[in-house]
Amino acid sequence: MNIIEIHGLTKDYALGETTVHALRGIDLTIAKGDLVCIMGPSGCGKTTLLNVIGGIDSATTGSVRIGGQELTTLPDREITDLRLHRLGFIFQTFNLIPVLTATENVEFPLLLQKEHSKSEIRARAEKLLEEVGLSEYRHHRPSELSGGQRQRIAIARALVTNPDIVLADEPTANLDSVTGASILEIMQTMNQRQQTTFLFSTHDKNVLKYARTVVHIKDGLIDGE
Amino acid sequence: MGLIFKIAWRNLWRHKNHSLVIGTILCLGALIMTVGNGVVEGMDRGLQKTIVHGFTGDLVLVSEKYESDNVFLEMMGKTVPPIDNFKAIRASLEKSSLVDQILPMGKNMAMVLNEDGGMPTFLYLLGVDFERYHRMFPDNVNVIEGRFPKPGRPWLMLPTGARKEINDMTNVWFIPEDASLDTSHLEAEAKKHPGDLSVKSNLVLMGFNEDNSSTDIRLNVAGVFKYRALNTIFHPFALMDIESYRQTLGYFMASEKKPGNVSARDSALFAEDGNLDNLFSGDSLIVGNKPASEAKVDWIPKEASQRSNIDMDDGAYNLVLVLLHSGVNAEKTKGALNKIFRDENLGIRAVDWKQALGPVGSMTTLIKSALFIFVSILFLVAVIIIVNTLSMAALERTPEIGMMRAIGARKGFIGLMFLAETAALSLAFGGLGIVLGAVVVELLSLLKLASENDMLQLFFGGDTFRPVLTTGDIGLAFLQLGFVTAAAVIYPLILARSITPLDAVYKE
Repeated sequence: MNIIEIHGLTKDYALGETTVHALRGIDLTIAKGDLVCIMGPSGCGKTTLLNVIGGIDSATTGSVRIGGQELTTLPDREITDLRLHRLGFIFQTFNLIPVLTATENVEFPLLLQKEHSKSEIRARAEKLLEEVGLSEYRHHRPSELSGGQRQRIAIARALVTNPDIVLADEPTANLDSVTGASILEIMQTMNQRQQTTFLFSTHDKNVLKYARTVVHIKDGLIDGE
Repeated sequence: MGLIFKIAWRNLWRHKNHSLVIGTILCLGALIMTVGNGVVEGMDRGLQKTIVHGFTGDLVLVSEKYESDNVFLEMMGKTVPPIDNFKAIRASLEKSSLVDQILPMGKNMAMVLNEDGGMPTFLYLLGVDFERYHRMFPDNVNVIEGRFPKPGRPWLMLPTGARKEINDMTNVWFIPEDASLDTSHLEAEAKKHPGDLSVKSNLVLMGFNEDNSSTDIRLNVAGVFKYRALNTIFHPFALMDIESYRQTLGYFMASEKKPGNVSARDSALFAEDGNLDNLFSGDSLIVGNKPASEAKVDWIPKEASQRSNIDMDDGAYNLVLVLLHSGVNAEKTKGALNKIFRDENLGIRAVDWKQALGPVGSMTTLIKSALFIFVSILFLVAVIIIVNTLSMAALERTPEIGMMRAIGARKGFIGLMFLAETAALSLAFGGLGIVLGAVVVELLSLLKLASENDMLQLFFGGDTFRPVLTTGDIGLAFLQLGFVTAAAVIYPLILARSITPLDAVYKE
């Protein structure tokens, strides 16, 4: 069963008087529970593809379906709800809310959902923090944690809502190789344990071994799987 | 909401410097606004108390024939028609439980003749029964030369300002009877050459009557006085005994129960043979340009022996001042009394003290408006600074806000978060400003700053500076603070709500 179906996706940017064709016609299907690595050099369109799949950016033409739901025609409010309920995000620069503790950051999406009791939210957040190995840092704020620790919190936050898909844009780019590897191992473990679909982008060939599927992108087109 | 306030509160602490800048502006603005409100309220109350309890009462009753509401300070002294039915009016007022005291008085203008042959001048006259006047306004007159009038005798009390104006026009310096010249009260120039002054203790007034005749009357000056407060406004109004006033203006007198202006000159006007030549022969109607000593002084006021056992209310007045019981709503009472006066066909109407004093009565409204404009400008500047600071803060937080949007926060959540931060700042610092303002107002009030300076007395609304804050003023201050907060947060709010997850990605 495909969780992501992309057909004829293009994305153009206006840059002054010229138009940049970031995506030139992507056709891609991703099966539920897969662990996909989108590989390619800088500027090839990896981030743009993830942004469009995540509803962060809009497509110029083409179709993007998440769990059968067409994304390109949804209004902003519904895309936001889709991100909240079905998607998880891990950013390159460990974007956490600076004034919240590790636990509160993980709880944040659940609090936005307003569907669970406080105790349930707390229990789920603490369980995930334990799974990413940060139980003892649960009361720390992001500024008191290392880059790797912050990225692990970001993983816990991305998973706390039990999303269908977690999108990670170069999650190891700002980490040393050991820490980066540990992050990918966690993602791999979670993918196997929860059957959550993971898509992560990278230009580092050393991390390919963690993926089950590798999609190569070059100049806005799929160069091979 | 708990999450929003948690993030808002912690963000305020995290961005202490910008919180402090906005907070200080809000605190200062609220402080100035609160003190300003207190000063204006104090001035309003002070003016009301000083004027109502020292000059006009709450309501002024005037003849229906008088079209303007400005009874006291109409330019060029528009003639106020007489009221001949005071007893009926008094009976009507006595039925009302809202009325505390009433004071009938004459109010018009007369010419002060120059017996030395120079230019005459004018004087506003308030004709009163001094005992009644003193009962209604017990402490509004400070006698600085001479004495209070003796009961039953004709008298005139001259305000210092009016004495100075007469002196400027005529070079005559009036002093009370049986008193000697007090040079300490002379103008600087006059002090150098006091011998050049023409010093007199009685003056000749020429009143113009409704039938175009005139009456001259000579009166001794009993005393020279200052109004205790707001002497600048009231100094043209001399006080004199009501019977002499009636004689001057040719009104029905209580002692005669007939018009008082039957003079030799009037006799000429109404000669039996109707010979109009009489109008153009003999004495002129106005004798101001020739020495009054040469003119015929028609009346010398009757002494006490001739005035005893008369009911002063038998004669005519021009105004009835009404002092209401404390706490009674003057505006409502005015409406109710006017209905009664119409129903009873009394030929009078009531105006309130603000209307009766014309431009002076609306002075507080003017000062309030000026303060409002000042505070509005102040707040406009504050709003601009706050908008700028908050907008910068919103842009600086693009990655954080964009990330929140990316993981599922709606625009409304971002808006509420921003609003909560600004509202918390406003409430904490603005509230502090209002509390500090209230303390400053209280301290200023406790100081009881007093002044004899005329301009300061206008600002104080009396002789003592007593700013006061009412619950309404404090409520208004919070309302203004809320308005400023709302005005200041709108643009940054729109800015924050417009931040997209993509902005956050590219900002990184």
